[in-house]
Amino acid sequence: MEQKPEKTDEEVANLVQAGDINLFGILIYRYEDKMMRYSRKFLSDQEDIKDVVQEIFLKAYENIKSFDVKRKFSSWLYRIAHNELVNVLRKRRKNILPLFDLDVFFPHSLHDNSLTQEIDRQDMSKMIDKCLDQLEPKYREPIILYYLEGLAYKEIADIIRVPISTIGIRIKRAKEKMKSIYQKSGYSL
Amino acid sequence: MNNQEQKKSISEAVLDKIKSGGVRIKPKLYFVLKTILVVLGGLAIGLFVLFLISFISFALRASGVWFLPEFGLRGFGMFFSYLPWLLILMAALLIIGLETLLKRFTFIYRKPVIYSLLAVILIAFLGGFLIDRTPFHSGLFLRAREGNLPLAGPMYRDFGILEPNEVHRGVVLETTENGFIIEMPQGEVLNVVISPDVHLAPEFEIKKDDAVVVFGEEHDGTVNALYVRKIDDNFRFSPRSRPSFPPLNRMSK
Repeated sequence: MEQKPEKTDEEVANLVQAGDINLFGILIYRYEDKMMRYSRKFLSDQEDIKDVVQEIFLKAYENIKSFDVKRKFSSWLYRIAHNELVNVLRKRRKNILPLFDLDVFFPHSLHDNSLTQEIDRQDMSKMIDKCLDQLEPKYREPIILYYLEGLAYKEIADIIRVPISTIGIRIKRAKEKMKSIYQKSGYSL
Repeated sequence: MNNQEQKKSISEAVLDKIKSGGVRIKPKLYFVLKTILVVLGGLAIGLFVLFLISFISFALRASGVWFLPEFGLRGFGMFFSYLPWLLILMAALLIIGLETLLKRFTFIYRKPVIYSLLAVILIAFLGGFLIDRTPFHSGLFLRAREGNLPLAGPMYRDFGILEPNEVHRGVVLETTENGFIIEMPQGEVLNVVISPDVHLAPEFEIKKDDAVVVFGEEHDGTVNALYVRKIDDNFRFSPRSRPSFPPLNRMSK
């Protein structure tokens, strides 16, 4: 018997919008680990992380009718997660993401990662393990979304709401900073 | 707690809250209204920015401050000191507010801020100057002068906060032995005295109905002119005077 292909996130979200609220559980199931992993990079307390992830899903449910099914559900959910984390960090007055940043002001040429991508990813996973915590949040977030969550520059730009070229320049600078921190700590690539 | 248990607890907590009615889906109408409010708010801010910039331009022209840089370095310095900085600051803050609202839209935030900001500033200035070229502000000014503009009346009568003491704009009512008499936009009449040490260009001649800007301090209704400049400006401020818009001409010291 031919098996029915699994519904996409956008199709499931569309059904939830239409009133099938039980299907929201599928979306939670698909994204819970990702949201936990993403939140863990900004918060350390396990209870705080759980609270934030719960809040992300509750907000997603509450606002599900604002989701445009022609766009990617993952980007929309990460946008909610981004806002939630920014709010939590702001309340605690620590690691605040900048309200204004010259990076978003002027154009930058997009950094081309394609040539070195494979080697890069291996080195990056080592560096991310060792020094991600030491990066400022504005550099940490694109690195997580690009290298750990595998999102494209355009999707990251939609989540953080900054120009696409800014994502490129932040990732480039983050890599330079991590490389320097990594080498200063006595590791070699 | 292992991963499976944690998974169960978060999804259970969320689903329990949903099923118990602790959290409800906001209706589509809520988001439609929110978008409409943002668009209307943006439009209102945009229109107010256009009004402010066109008013600043109007106030600078109507008070004569606009022409100060043509009176040399001192005039240039005075031009800056007479600029309505409070209104300029207000316009700048509103432009920042407008830019913040626009950043909600994908096609705006995906591009560097400098592009949208420059576009907003350019549109605001072009639009403002274009509005100033229409009879909009001069019409309101005339109503204010007649006392028929309740709220914005004082603002128009004083050209905002521009009350320059050394620059006077008006239309020549009549010439005198040592100068001329002008009627200013507010209806005030000034006696302009051109002192002998002010060098007049031979072709320079002031006639009745000429629109002029005079630079010099005023004491008891008399101005000792340091500079006089005829202006070709389509700003009709006085139904009594009806200036005939002479060709641009200049008199220098």
